[in-house]
Amino acid sequence: MADLITINVDGKDVQVPAKIQLIEALRTYARTETPAFCYHQDLKVAGNCRICLVEVDGPRGFALAISCHMQTAPGMKVRTQVSSEKIVKLRKGVMEFLLVNHPLDCPICDKAGECTLQEHYMGQGRHESRLDDATGKQYKGGADYRFIDAKGQDRGGKMIDLGPTIVLDQERCIICTRCVRFMDDVAKSPQLDIAGRGDHAYITTFPGEPLDHAYDLNTTDICPVGALTAKHFRFQQRAWLLKSVESIDPSDALGANLVIEYNNGRVWRLMPRRNPEVNKSWIANSTRMLYQDLARNRLTDGKLNGADTTLASALASALAALKAGKRVALVASGHLTSEDNAALLALCASLPGQSEVFGGSWLPVGKSDGIARSGDPVANRKGVALLGIPDNLDALAGRAKEFDVLVVVGHDLWGAAAAKAAALESIPTRIVLSSWVDASVAKATIAIGIRAWAEVRGSMVNINGRVQLLQACPVVPNAELEPAWKVLAQLSAAGKPFSWSSEIDGWKAIQARVPQLASLSYRSIGPSGAIIPLAPLPAAAGV
Amino acid sequence: MTTLHGFPQPAQWKGKDLPRILSRLFQVDDGHRLEVAKRHGAYHTIGSTLFDKSQFELIELVKDSGLRGRGGAGFPTGMKWSFVPRGTGKPVYLVINADEGEPGTFKDRLCMSRDPHLLLEGMIITGFALGVRTAYIYVRGEMLPQIGRLNDAIQEAYAAGLLGENIQGSGYSLDIFVHRGAGAYICGEETGLINSLEGFKGQPRLKPPFPAVSGAFAAPTVVNNVETIMAVPYILQHGAKGYRQWGTDKSPGSKLFSVAGDVNAPGVYEVPLGMPYMEFFELAGGLKGELLGCIPGGSSAPVLNAEETRKATMDYESLASLKSMLGSGAVTPFNSATDVPRYLQTIARFYAHESCGQCTPCREGTGYVDRVLDKVVDGHGRNGDLELIKDLADSYEWTTICAFAPGAAWPIQSFITKFRTHFQAYIEKNPEHAKPRELELERAGAFW
Repeated sequence: MADLITINVDGKDVQVPAKIQLIEALRTYARTETPAFCYHQDLKVAGNCRICLVEVDGPRGFALAISCHMQTAPGMKVRTQVSSEKIVKLRKGVMEFLLVNHPLDCPICDKAGECTLQEHYMGQGRHESRLDDATGKQYKGGADYRFIDAKGQDRGGKMIDLGPTIVLDQERCIICTRCVRFMDDVAKSPQLDIAGRGDHAYITTFPGEPLDHAYDLNTTDICPVGALTAKHFRFQQRAWLLKSVESIDPSDALGANLVIEYNNGRVWRLMPRRNPEVNKSWIANSTRMLYQDLARNRLTDGKLNGADTTLASALASALAALKAGKRVALVASGHLTSEDNAALLALCASLPGQSEVFGGSWLPVGKSDGIARSGDPVANRKGVALLGIPDNLDALAGRAKEFDVLVVVGHDLWGAAAAKAAALESIPTRIVLSSWVDASVAKATIAIGIRAWAEVRGSMVNINGRVQLLQACPVVPNAELEPAWKVLAQLSAAGKPFSWSSEIDGWKAIQARVPQLASLSYRSIGPSGAIIPLAPLPAAAGV
Repeated sequence: MTTLHGFPQPAQWKGKDLPRILSRLFQVDDGHRLEVAKRHGAYHTIGSTLFDKSQFELIELVKDSGLRGRGGAGFPTGMKWSFVPRGTGKPVYLVINADEGEPGTFKDRLCMSRDPHLLLEGMIITGFALGVRTAYIYVRGEMLPQIGRLNDAIQEAYAAGLLGENIQGSGYSLDIFVHRGAGAYICGEETGLINSLEGFKGQPRLKPPFPAVSGAFAAPTVVNNVETIMAVPYILQHGAKGYRQWGTDKSPGSKLFSVAGDVNAPGVYEVPLGMPYMEFFELAGGLKGELLGCIPGGSSAPVLNAEETRKATMDYESLASLKSMLGSGAVTPFNSATDVPRYLQTIARFYAHESCGQCTPCREGTGYVDRVLDKVVDGHGRNGDLELIKDLADSYEWTTICAFAPGAAWPIQSFITKFRTHFQAYIEKNPEHAKPRELELERAGAFW
């Protein structure tokens, strides 16, 4: 914690860190609700919405200042809406100006319920409208209205198709420039800008150019009104109907923090969850669209030699195959939680002398984009390594002839590198546990469906050694589907069985192997994760 | 009296000399050419007069002269120069603000076309005082003839060894570039100007940091008006005392006033600060008709009514005591035949059009006020409209990044307060003026 200084807010002394934005000090430390539209914690300060006005004592007495641009300094005296009538009046004034050209279409606006303008209107505005037909709103509204700029170019009006992912409703925009600053400073691809000036300014892309960046959907999150909306979520659900659980990005080793929002047994969208040390407030479009896979192409039952069967019969066949198997190759997966992989190690221990664990991935590793993706598609690579599972898939391919049973868990080997995986087809019995009907399921002799990442609880270790939690969301497509660790525990009946009652037993098994985690619990890891040292570890026993 | 040069000023007024600090060459044929200008004493100071002085002495000299910024705000120039940090390792830039856009102001335009060499001379002195290697003149884009004159003058000065490397063998080097603006009023605001100079959209920046610390290209920058810099050679030549022989104690020196409106000889005049407005109108050929009011310093200065105008003198402190300002020195008296609401409508429309659109209150407020005012002028005004306009102007007066919004609010507040009967008469032209307007929320289909 940085050194604390004392500032005076509305006559009360408050301890705050030095040199943070005053608006943060007011919100977090002084507990004074301070509205803002243009200010965003992870963007440059623009100071243009003017709603966060406060009075700050200076050499010439109390003067107006915007709290988002001011930094805390010792002895600062601040008056907010709590003690200053002037601030109340001016904020009402700013709110009135914001609403001058903003439509009252909240009932059909996607942002309603999570709209900053709506929230702060209830908090700071609540004025009687003074607008009338003659002097009021200048937008024309209506689906058929098109806005033609001074040069005769069609700049749209309602429902402008900005690009492959985003729709713009021009009349709702309050010119806060958050999206412009995001594209300029975070995405580093300045595709959006404000054209024109005065109340005839409007947001647009360059003529004929689409908005098509791999992170552009973040602009829909930071848009304080319903101007930018995501095509995939538009008119799907009302924001207040959605329930949420906190999880992380399962498709990348950075593990960007996110929120899974679901309703009616279905995930409707993934939203970034702010973690200043991981992904700030951003997630990639590709991460955001992962929710679609949760209801698509799922392996909800079992398969025997390609033919559908029940989960129970697939499990029974797998159990019989393991019992009969002389040499069993178990393949761990960096796409699954550490608990699942601990269960695989436990299964290996329950088949002593008969089984061997392999790990790694054939997926190509890319480069970090510096925002919310590390480029490594194997989310839990570090977690698997901490458990002591070696990176030796190539060795398995070379020694395939030694084994008669292959167990692959949540890991699409054939999808990643069909040519390399072809060597594994010489193993007569191939058991694949998978959430999706993928290339490996097609090559499996026995396939068993398991729950997907959004439906399980567990932990992963990201590329920087941060242990983060996934939480289960009640959207399992088939109630009989189990998490991978549970299926593996059931398969251990082939040897010396182990039984876990929940993921917590898995976590304890991990702690027994990984000393860095010994002092942590799910509770102490918490929503923002916990950093652990990634020291080189001795090879795990039993491998 | 000749009005050949847009400068109808007589040499003497009531038996006394008028100052010719800035307007020395305004009535000289070909005064913009180096050889003619030199014959009249241009670049006299560029030599031992300048280079024997230290930077500190020069800044102190300008401080002592009491020279204040002539662009509108009237900030003491010497103090502005002293804010520039030394030894930061970054270059210091001098930017001349020639983006003259205030309605009624046309003095800088005349300066640049009549005597560009005085500006260059002032820039060399200022540049030397501040350690500037590169200076810019940001000229409003519409002023093509002036841009041509400036470029010609700069070429002449380079050829004569007055600009470029090692000026007159002194070891000091200065390059000057003319930058054309694209015609936005807001680019006359110093940080808006810097943004525009850097190639960005002309929108004012958040302060702090102030330009003196981090301005153009994130380096220390001094932005001064054309007229301010043109006064510097005289101060160097005649000393602070010589400059202070004109004007008042707190507003020393002379100033160019561009007078338009209801006078018989509109144009640019150089007069000592502190001259009464009424005397100035006489100098400008006398008033046409009966005086109703006067805008004392450009359209954003609060208007004065006839009584205040008679009391006011042309200096910073007299106008401050009347809650107005000297501004850019654009004097616009108007007589009793003036249609005041239409007059204000023009001003309001200008500000609604020129608001940069960055801050909410100014962006939406100026447009909203303009629309309500339009209704009043069109004969559709209602009771309460004036209170609404005044209240809106109060709401955006001090709540924005730059001084545009106060400048847009002051004329509206002052006109409506001081000439209320004129607006009321317009409202009463509407037979339904007592009926309240149908408000947005009461309207059918209000969601759209």
